[in-house]
Amino acid sequence: MKASPFRRVAVGALASLSLVLTACSGGSAGSAPELSNKPVTLRVTWWGDDNRAKLTNEAIAAFEKKYPNIKIKGEYKDWNGYWDALATTTAAKDSPDVLQMDELYLASYADRGALYDLSKAKKFLGTSQFDAQALATGQVNETQYALPVGVGVSSIVVNTDLFKKYGVAIPDDKTWTWADYAKVAKELTDKSGGKINGAAGAPGFYAGDPKYWARQEGGNLFDKDGNVSIKPKALVDMWTYGLNLISSGAGIKASAMVEDLTAGVTAGTFATGKAAMMGAYNTQVTALQQATGAHLRLLQPPHDGNAKANFFKPSMYWAVSSQSQHPAEAATFVNFLLNDPAGADILKTERGIPANKQILKHLEPALTGTDKAAADYMNEVTPGPSPVVTPNGGSGIEPMLQRYTQEVYFKKTSPEDAAKAFIKELQGEIDAAK
Amino acid sequence: MSSISELRRLRGSQRDTRQQNKAALFFLLPWFVGLFGITLGPMLASLYLSFTKYNLLQPPQFSGLDNWTRMLHDDRLHKSLEVTFTYVLVSVPLQLALALGLALLLDKGVRGLAFYRSVFYLPSLIGGSVAIAVLWRTVFGTDGLVNKALALVGIHGQGWVSEPGTALSTLIVLNVWTFGSPMVIFLAGLRQIPASLYEAASVDGAGRWRQFRNITLPLLTPIIFFNLVLQIIHAFQTFTQAFVVSGGTGGPADSTLFYSLYLYQRGFGQFDMGYASALAWLLLLIVGVFTAVNFWASKYWVFYDD
Repeated sequence: MKASPFRRVAVGALASLSLVLTACSGGSAGSAPELSNKPVTLRVTWWGDDNRAKLTNEAIAAFEKKYPNIKIKGEYKDWNGYWDALATTTAAKDSPDVLQMDELYLASYADRGALYDLSKAKKFLGTSQFDAQALATGQVNETQYALPVGVGVSSIVVNTDLFKKYGVAIPDDKTWTWADYAKVAKELTDKSGGKINGAAGAPGFYAGDPKYWARQEGGNLFDKDGNVSIKPKALVDMWTYGLNLISSGAGIKASAMVEDLTAGVTAGTFATGKAAMMGAYNTQVTALQQATGAHLRLLQPPHDGNAKANFFKPSMYWAVSSQSQHPAEAATFVNFLLNDPAGADILKTERGIPANKQILKHLEPALTGTDKAAADYMNEVTPGPSPVVTPNGGSGIEPMLQRYTQEVYFKKTSPEDAAKAFIKELQGEIDAAK
Repeated sequence: MSSISELRRLRGSQRDTRQQNKAALFFLLPWFVGLFGITLGPMLASLYLSFTKYNLLQPPQFSGLDNWTRMLHDDRLHKSLEVTFTYVLVSVPLQLALALGLALLLDKGVRGLAFYRSVFYLPSLIGGSVAIAVLWRTVFGTDGLVNKALALVGIHGQGWVSEPGTALSTLIVLNVWTFGSPMVIFLAGLRQIPASLYEAASVDGAGRWRQFRNITLPLLTPIIFFNLVLQIIHAFQTFTQAFVVSGGTGGPADSTLFYSLYLYQRGFGQFDMGYASALAWLLLLIVGVFTAVNFWASKYWVFYDD
């Protein structure tokens, strides 16, 4: 039997290993831009689902009609793929012109010179309809690198059908504390005979959670200089609370939380009617309504302490790449999306309750159902001061937080040790990016 | 080149050999284009990047051995090595044992061999795909098929992929399930063992087990060796399954943090491409060492009759 070819093939197989080893290089800007008199094609990219793509493409069509000289090519991806693609195309100096940006990545891109200073394109892109707080959410080192599309606010989404079914009264959200929340959740679990859990999830899976728990105690996740300023105690309190929620049966098991994370918000425990309450952004209520088919209500998050903990979170931004050859046209397009009622009539509140106040006023009378509920809820909230934008190097905070949360909830480590380690690791990433 | 020298032996003609050489080079051309055009350049670039601080968006800065010394104190790297080694050392032997076992059964002349061969091969084709990883996540979920089956016999199962204690095991099962490609190679190898050897052995009174021990296994060692090397390299590079099952996190609690997944997180999640390049080269070294040891050890157990 002649087996020696196999030996050679095995060596050749080593070559396939070299597929592991692949990598990429990196941007600049000029003075006040002008519109070109020749036809221009812009590339626009965003993350999101098919519905968002449909609306955005309609808005693009309306824009092209209004500005026949500018053609727009839209590209969209899911969240993970979006950031991979944006990093690699930017590295290859092939970045799309207009980018949908997130709070987590804003400073990471801006600090590294990948974004265009929008104040240079003032002529084409007005900002007067945004209040100072909203504008600040798009600034890094006092430069306006991005404009917020919409804002969201933390809330507790409540499935009122389940409350009615099991005869539990909906608590007063003006005064309730985290202890009240746990009590109501436990009552729901008990009265349902374990069929449902009162609460889906526990704090520690989203970057907003440590922010909220730090702000309750008068602190913040990051200080003005972009360093980690959360006290270990805030994290310990948050995780200890979550552990009690799980062990009492008020909340779902840790493994169910892990499954919810991969299933996504519209397929998780709450969305499938197996829990009656969940922390979510007010803007998610429409998607949750469609998923549950139940009556939902937005309540203010429970609160311990006196500091105003809630905050307006920019749901996302529009930004222009510093590599764009056509910043004036790009700014014109962003202006259409954010400031033009014609654009707003198509996009409505899909990307969040508009941060542009005039546009919000323009849309408000026509809002119905959950969209109206989300807007009404936001008007009820009195937020504290805006948190600092996630600093450069901190873009990985969410998976990092989830990892520590899972270690705590699966009892692999104590809240105290996890708090210290989390703060150290997060600060380490920020220092490394400096 | 050895196949070419064999050809020379067989044909004994210089001109033929030269023509064969040309033909071989011609057929290898696409591979050479790929190697020099696509693979080699980025490989060398990544070797350079492994000695730099590089965040993708700004030009790399030379940083000497920083990335390499950092590895010594990187707890998550050590965790990812632990996960990956466990995966390789458990799943590859199990997979090959299953592949060999089924190949032996099929070789005994099952009716409809072609059908079974195709069916068993199918998982190998699709096992590395996103769709199968999604399916796996669902099947091993709390409300998944596995738990529904267990419930029939009165066992209340847990969420297999969402508990840190069992998440890696489900991925090991997934890899074992893709036993089809080594099985097909085993089958081909079994077919090449001359029947006369078995006849002679049974005349001498050797039973089934003796025949397997003393004929099948020794003559199959080159094939076992080949499959072993290939599957180890393959297992070290596991990415898709872990990425999809854990949503890119390597969770729950880093229990499925495969090496390549960690590399990806550093490079693309943290814009830490210099370090990620160093990690890629470390993986190459690790797999290189594994393969070298394999080749060295093969002298002692692989039997070539040529």
